[in-house]
Formats: sequence, C-alpha cells, structure tokens
Amino acid sequence: MAYQLYRNTTLGNSLQESLDELIQTQQITPQLALQVLLQFDKAINMALANRVRNRVNFRGSLNTYRFCDNVWTFVLNDVEFREVTDLVKVDKVKIVACDGKK
Amino acid sequence: MQMFLRLPKLYKSVIEDVINEVRELFLDEGVDEQVLLELKTLWENKLLQSKAVEGFHTEEQAALQAAQQQQQQHQVQQVQQVQQVQQQVQQVHQVQQVNQPAQAQQVILPPQQQQAPQQQVIVQDSKILQHMSATGMSAAATAATLALPTGVTPYQQLITSQGQILQVVRAANGAQYIIQPQQQILVQQQMQPGSVQAPVIQQVLAPMQGGLSQQGVIIQPQQIVLASGNKVQGNPQLMQAAALAQQPGQAATAQVQQVQQVQQVQGSAAPQVPAQTQAQQPPMILQADGAGDTSSEDDQDDEEEEYGEDEEEEKDKDGGEDGQVEEEPLNSSDDVSDEEDQELFDTENVVVCQYDKIHRSKNKWKFHLKDGIMNLNGRDYVFSKAIGDAEW
Repeated sequence: MAYQLYRNTTLGNSLQESLDELIQTQQITPQLALQVLLQFDKAINMALANRVRNRVNFRGSLNTYRFCDNVWTFVLNDVEFREVTDLVKVDKVKIVACDGKK
Repeated sequence: MQMFLRLPKLYKSVIEDVINEVRELFLDEGVDEQVLLELKTLWENKLLQSKAVEGFHTEEQAALQAAQQQQQQHQVQQVQQVQQVQQQVQQVHQVQQVNQPAQAQQVILPPQQQQAPQQQVIVQDSKILQHMSATGMSAAATAATLALPTGVTPYQQLITSQGQILQVVRAANGAQYIIQPQQQILVQQQMQPGSVQAPVIQQVLAPMQGGLSQQGVIIQPQQIVLASGNKVQGNPQLMQAAALAQQPGQAATAQVQQVQQVQQVQGSAAPQVPAQTQAQQPPMILQADGAGDTSSEDDQDDEEEEYGEDEEEEKDKDGGEDGQVEEEPLNSSDDVSDEEDQELFDTENVVVCQYDKIHRSKNKWKFHLKDGIMNLNGRDYVFSKAIGDAEW
C-alpha cells in the first residue's frame, strides 16, 4: 500500500475537501471517498517517483527532531532551499519523512 | 523557475490519473458520471483558489482566464496612475484569476459587453474588494469605484451630455452621492438628519499631467483615507470641497477640519490649511493639560511659539487619535494586503517526503531525502531528491 503521506498537501487537501463536499450532499458514500483517496495515494506516489526529476539543496538550523514509527519529523529554522535556478527562504519549516527504502 | 513550470502539468496529470482510475469505482457504486466530473471541477477549483500553483487551469477555464486577463490588462493600464488603488488592483488581479467559480454575489460579465458598463463592488471580510468592470469606464471612475469604502455600491450610472459617466452611489447609511470622474467635488444629495456623520466627501482627481500619481481622498464618518501623492495641490481642492460641505452645518466643518488635521499629520506642507484650521481650532478642542497647560510657568514667554506647538500637538494628537480610530480598519486591511504581497502567510511551511538516509555527527545533521512535495511561503514545489545540512 502506498504511503498516505501526501494527503496533507495542497493537492491532497483539495481532493479531500472536494470529497467531503460530495459526501455532505450525499452524492457519494464515505466508502467511495476512501477508495478515491487510496487511488490518489497510488497516483501521487507514482507521479513523484517517475515524473519528477529535480534536485534541491537546503541548509538551516535544526530546532527539533523526532523519530517515531519509522517516521522522521524535523523542524528547521532559517532555511534556504536552493535549486539550480532559484532560492526560497523560510523562517521555519517542518519536514515529515517516511522511510524511503523499499 | 524550473520547479514552477513543471508543477501544473504534474498536478494535472495526477488529477487525470486519479479521475480515470476511480471512474470504474464510481460506476461500480452506481454513482453518476456527473458526480465524477463535479469532483474533478471542485478539485481543480480548490487548487486554483489556493494559489499554490501558478498557471493551473483546464481548457475551459483557459479561455475565460484569457478574456479576463485581457480585461484586466486594459484596466490595469488605465488605473496605473492611481497610487491608492494599486494595491487593491493587485488584490483584484490575484483574486480575479482564481475567481472561476460563480459565486452567488458575482456576475461574470461577457467580454463583449460594451454598453452600460456595470460594476459590482463586493466586500469579503471587509478587506478585499472584488471588482469586475467592463471596458468603457474611465480611469477616474474606476478608481473612484475601487476606492469606495466597504458597503458602498454603485447602483446607477448616468451618462452626461458630455459623455462622462456619472455614478450614483448609495452609501451604507442611505445617503446618495454622485461621483463625477475628473471632477473634484462630490455632490451630496442627502444627508442623515441630525447625525454627526455628515458629509461624505469623495474626491477623485484626474490623473495629473507629467505622470504624477493620482490622489483619491475619501472622507467618511470615522474613516479617512488619504492617498499619498501630490499634497500641495490637494489642499485647495480639499478646501473647495470643504467650502461646499460647510453648507450642511458645523458638523461638516468638523469633518473637514479632521481631514485637514490628518493631512497635516501626513506631512502636508500647504500653508493655507493651518490658517484656516487655526481660526476654527480653539473652540473645538480644549486641552487643559500637557502642552496646553495654562498653569505652567513658561506660558508667558513663548506664548506664540507654544501656541504653534500646541496646535501641532493637538492636531497631531487629534489627528493621531482620530486618525488611528479612522485609519485603523483601513490600515489593518493594508497590513493584510501587504502580508499577502510579501507572501508571509501563516501557512506552516511543510515538506512531505521520504528519507533515504539521515545522518548525524555530534550536532551536525545531514538529510538525504527524496520524492517530496513542499509548500513554502504559500507555494508548492516538488523534488525528486533533496540534500540538506543543519546544525542542532
């Protein structure tokens, strides 16, 4: 089963919200909505693995770290994310990472 | 911006994949295809609204966006000289682009509509003005309408013999005003009986020659908005309006004085204003302490100077107080728009990804991540690999 990790992204959240609206108006069942989300998990995992090919570097200071149930959660401060072309700076970022090994 | 360009495509392909895959599921459950399409539409609209992805649109919306953008560009050129509304126009621009779903309060105008331009000013959270206007509005009229305070909607438009477009505006308190573009005076037709909130004076000055910024002055009960800009020229016009407005009574004078005070606070250097203000100031404000303390010893020596100081302080104080009371709601809206412009959302910047390797040496951490989606400063990014360093 693919990670449900990506449900809390813009893409995932907008899907969940849309599904919730349809459930509210009783156009679909919650069961169906769940199936859609599972399908979304598969699709996004595949897309990220196959269709994205870019590299990012970042540097900052580590505020907190947590490793629980094989999930790392970090909070970094004053981070710079750098790609070849551009640079993004943030004061605070939370990184949630699941185990990438198969 | 490599990451940016690829994103809409990526998201679109994901959406297409998901929709296609679940079509079967929907049919198995006996759910209509229509619902599936609705899901897709909702999903895409939310993505558009989130502004996390740029340039995200389907084919149907592309045409609408193109038409809207043309209108926007036309508009933007017209109102480019209006300094006061530039921020609002930016807001409008952003809001319009995501304005695809037809909301109950909005009417989407077909681009071909030339006659009888309509305008709707819609207030959301009292902070964002959504303004859709067709072509044919003059810059000043557009600026005037954009500069309208919340709750004021133009409900009638007259075309004078000269071909100018007058707007009859109804304010929230029921008074009616006519905005004449390129004229400085707002004619007031009605006034609330016995209310202290007297004339609402609205000025929209024509664009100055030489590219000077336009100055819009809106005076409303407890609300004063002054655009920065040409101050010296503004005063005589203000006084002209003040002269007109003095007819309804002393309340108007007070209002005008307040405006003049605020202008003073803003740093206007017009010499005419203090003269008029001086004459009318003392009966209005009594100050028995502070700089105006009559029991102080230094009173006799620097009376003239003190009087000048008093006045400025009083004006500053009143302008400050009144200004703060009046400007606060407006300033707070400025703050919000500023924040949006600077992209200082309270979105927590989040990265969801998978880790290849996490390494630590003493307090030096190294991260090897992959397949991640990031939301930074409100925008979405993706990566296939990310390498990072941090000190704990």
